[in-house]
Amino acid sequence: MEIEIDSVSSPSKVKEIDGLLADVGYKVKSSELHQVAQNIERLENVIVNSSSSDISQFASDTIHYDPSDIGNWVDNLLSEFDHTNSLPYDFSQLSDLAQDQHHHHHHHHHQNHQLKVVTTVEEDSAIKLIHMLMTCADSLQRGNIQLAGSLIEGMQGLLTNMNTNSGIGKVAGYFIDALNRRIFGQNNIIHIENDVLYHHYYEACPYLKFAHFTANQAILEAFNGHDCVHVIDFNLMHGLQWPALIQALALRPGGPPFLRLTGIGPPSHDDRDNLREIGLRLAELARSVNVRFAFRGVAAWRLEDVKPWMLQVSSKEAVAVNSIMQLHRLLGSEPDPNNPSAIETVLGWIRSLNPKIMTVVEQEANHNEDGFMDRFTEALHYYSTVFDSLEACPVEPDKAMAEIYLQREICNVVCCEGPARVERHEPLIKWRERLGKTGFRPLHLGSNAFKQASMLLTLFSAEGYCVEENQGSLTLGWHSRPLIAASAWQAVPETLRFDH
Amino acid sequence: MAGSNQPLNPNDSKMVVPLNMWVLISNFKLAYNLLRRPDGTFNRDLAEFLDRKVPANANPVDGVFSFDVIVDRETNLLTRIYRPVEGDENHVNIVDLEKPVTAEVLPVLVFFHGGSFAHSSANSAIYDTLCRRLVGICNAVVVSVNYRRAPENRYPCAYEDGWKALKWVSTRTWLQSKKDNKVHIYMVGDSSGGNIVHHVALKALDSEIQVLGNILLNPLFGGEERTESEKRLDGRYFVRVKDRDWYWRAFLPEGEDRDHHACNPFGPKGRSLEGVTFPKSLVVVAGLDLVQDWQLGYAKGLEKAGQNVKLLFLEQATIGFYLLPNNEHFSLVMDEIKQFVNFDCS
Repeated sequence: MEIEIDSVSSPSKVKEIDGLLADVGYKVKSSELHQVAQNIERLENVIVNSSSSDISQFASDTIHYDPSDIGNWVDNLLSEFDHTNSLPYDFSQLSDLAQDQHHHHHHHHHQNHQLKVVTTVEEDSAIKLIHMLMTCADSLQRGNIQLAGSLIEGMQGLLTNMNTNSGIGKVAGYFIDALNRRIFGQNNIIHIENDVLYHHYYEACPYLKFAHFTANQAILEAFNGHDCVHVIDFNLMHGLQWPALIQALALRPGGPPFLRLTGIGPPSHDDRDNLREIGLRLAELARSVNVRFAFRGVAAWRLEDVKPWMLQVSSKEAVAVNSIMQLHRLLGSEPDPNNPSAIETVLGWIRSLNPKIMTVVEQEANHNEDGFMDRFTEALHYYSTVFDSLEACPVEPDKAMAEIYLQREICNVVCCEGPARVERHEPLIKWRERLGKTGFRPLHLGSNAFKQASMLLTLFSAEGYCVEENQGSLTLGWHSRPLIAASAWQAVPETLRFDH
Repeated sequence: MAGSNQPLNPNDSKMVVPLNMWVLISNFKLAYNLLRRPDGTFNRDLAEFLDRKVPANANPVDGVFSFDVIVDRETNLLTRIYRPVEGDENHVNIVDLEKPVTAEVLPVLVFFHGGSFAHSSANSAIYDTLCRRLVGICNAVVVSVNYRRAPENRYPCAYEDGWKALKWVSTRTWLQSKKDNKVHIYMVGDSSGGNIVHHVALKALDSEIQVLGNILLNPLFGGEERTESEKRLDGRYFVRVKDRDWYWRAFLPEGEDRDHHACNPFGPKGRSLEGVTFPKSLVVVAGLDLVQDWQLGYAKGLEKAGQNVKLLFLEQATIGFYLLPNNEHFSLVMDEIKQFVNFDCS
């Protein structure tokens, strides 16, 4: 398989992509149009000479990747077709998850970011409320604390006449509360452990299940053919992600590998060792399905405090690094020209582990803008949609706890600044850029992962959840708004990378 | 099966469209081929995976912003609304999304995307781009309807969704033109969307809702008969007759044939429009579209019934010519559309 060395994204390279096709969602280099057209013709001829039922079966069975890259998609189909029509086995056609590195050029992005809104409010009081919220945020940004404070009083008054059990009343309530805290610094925090809230959030809606499921799929495929595998989980919590992987590995054709799991998490207070307890439970499960298993807990308050030697990675292992909503927490470090930032440091040592795969799941939102108004507006839209989707959940106390879990996020986005603000969500577009620059290339999630994620969703009675393909990554959203994005990465080998 | 095994000659279609358009439409043709199953079922999962979608964007891009509204919670009927920015804003507040229209007369285009009743969505990239262009060209608000698709949802679901959306639009006070406090509604659709425009306009006849005009771009009509254009153009410009047949079988009620009035509105089972106040129509027909005889027949049917219809016949145009702006048909049609909806603007 050839690796394309495409190191620099200079302006002249940007112009290479056909602009009109880019406007409608496709990436094709102008210089390659003829070649792509020829391959389309070849594929058409192939299809025309097959029966319709063969074609649809073939289409179902093949795994498709990144349809926006028409050239690659067609090539893939051509080689798959050759394959299934029993040509002599050709090692150069080995299907491999790793794809060539693609730079996605946004030559058409005039705007700073996208503001995705689903469903707007109808009632007068709701409109008034939102207006006041925006004005309050604006006055805060300008430093007019007095006005902000009086607006908060006004909004709290409005709320007493509104339905705060659902819809805009509920979400607005949380944002008003967050603004209140930002101004007056109240400290009536609800004392429920974060991992407990997380567990209920996991139960109440499909976002975390989707994250775990999609990441596990990718990890499973990456571990194909390896006898010693090591998963590094950046946030173990209750280890909810791992029973499914353990079971899938147990059922693997050829038998399970030796699985090591390293779980990172905050140190436990009191005398308990939470990490170890979770590890023991997972070990029990692994034993019951005959998977050789070893667990190690690494206690650290912050991811940037973890050093690679703590993970004890051996060169014989296939390593998977799994980050579910953790990378964004590293974006808040103070910029220091002499020292690499937290995110650079961590991504650096991840690369040094040479992982077979790094699975990254992040909120699909732009909550890391410096400007308070921008952040506030984005967050209001985002969490309104999330809460809207939560209303479909009938189960208590999952739903109530999930709301508290989200409220904490909202508070962090709205009230905190500097290193205290850890909920620095950034959208897929930005993560692609950042990971591309730090020496990672995307491993595309294909139509099989998409199909299975969609099937997972049908287990939920609420219609409205939507899986979408986004240039090799998958997103899960509510109606037309993606809310969480799952992607997979591999480190580009050092020798093939040009630093710039 | 014998006829379908003839190699398609790509040279015909390559001569008449720019290369990037050929790649775009051929890519769709290829993908769609993979999705249709001979037993009439549809690989919906793969279809959704392959479709390029874009989210709404309340931040203006080239003077247009968009947001999604759920018009009917029970069926999750979604519409995407595109509005022109007023003045110099580059930031739109949530409050401003449904800010009342300030123009004396503002056309509201209710848009039905194409896809032969089975493909695409309101948030498909090709249609999001087209709707944005329409906003700028017509200085209008565009409401793109995400109607339910076949084969999972056959006739009359798409029409019912269209009708619901039309009613919703007509009752939005914030879309009313200042001149008469009414919503100035036009309906626009391409391919199956054009067909939906006709049938929703029919539904509106027995109501208070006034539709000022219908715009049909390469609308999908058909019938049992094999017309001359279908025989002459079969397989030559991206489309085969058997593909069209598949989509009708997927959309029409089981057991019905293509003379059903949904497919053939002026056919043996159609409804006469004589003496009826039907909206004026702009019918755009591509000269290399194999169903043009049906489309021309539609325009004639309107004319015979004494209705106001303008036919735009583009000799060298293929299906999908309006998806990219790099051809003369595009500018011609957009100009016509602009004039059509601005007719009553001073």
